[in-house]
Amino acid sequence: MRIVQYRYPAYRSLIPASSVFARSPWSGMEAEFDRLFAAALPPSTNPLFPVDLYEDQANAYVRAELPGVNRDDIHVEMTDGNVSISAVRKTPPVDGQPEQSASFSRTLNIPAEIAADRVTAAYENGVLTVTLPKREEAKPKKITVAVK
Amino acid sequence: MYLFNSIIPAFGRATPSAEASGAASATPVIKPTYDVQETSASYQLVVQLPGVSREGLELTVENEGLRLVGRRTWIQPTGWTALHRETTDASYELVLEHDNAIDADQATAELRDGVLHVTLPKHETIKPRKIAVT
Repeated sequence: MRIVQYRYPAYRSLIPASSVFARSPWSGMEAEFDRLFAAALPPSTNPLFPVDLYEDQANAYVRAELPGVNRDDIHVEMTDGNVSISAVRKTPPVDGQPEQSASFSRTLNIPAEIAADRVTAAYENGVLTVTLPKREEAKPKKITVAVK
Repeated sequence: MYLFNSIIPAFGRATPSAEASGAASATPVIKPTYDVQETSASYQLVVQLPGVSREGLELTVENEGLRLVGRRTWIQPTGWTALHRETTDASYELVLEHDNAIDADQATAELRDGVLHVTLPKHETIKPRKIAVT
């Protein structure tokens, strides 16, 4: 498994959120239905896998269900606030059938500010857990304000 | 399914016969992805059970069929807030019938990286045998 970190210049869209070209209010629901239909297809044509996104005060966590993959075939990459997980599952050749491989790939946007050089990942029981530490300035701080 | 069950409550209730028999569906279970390959001497069963370790796995092979229950052992730590969930915490349950086709004493299973490989040798009685013609 390798963790690759990219730095791209920040891209800010000039399209305001309220204009007609912005994401429609249905795009979230459409994405959910696309995901539901894709999950019903056989794994050879469906490159998606379920992921959970958690956070606590210090880190954000991504848990992805990727059973039956070798650690060397899992790649986790950080790109400017997005974490990209890709994996290749190879089935060993059984008598009569050649070795088959299925590839999976998913990119998630992490809402918090992440210290990209301290990201770690672990793979256990078929579940990949990526730990993304938040940058110091993004951690919630308690500021006491004195009222005069 | 949840959408239908919430709009029409009658769809969500279990049928009276299932409630009376105290069906095991009191805790939600989910059927795992599985594949069965047949070779000349055995059946190869591959079940995908992400999140299940050996402690949470229960595999029973009987004369009538095969029953597999896998419980996920990971518990969400208390400080974690779930922002987006696509997985479920339900246990895996798989029931397959084979009607005496398996020699249960020689069945082996291996759980690795969330994938269970079960080798079920065919019973002697169903293996093909040559019949001499006199």
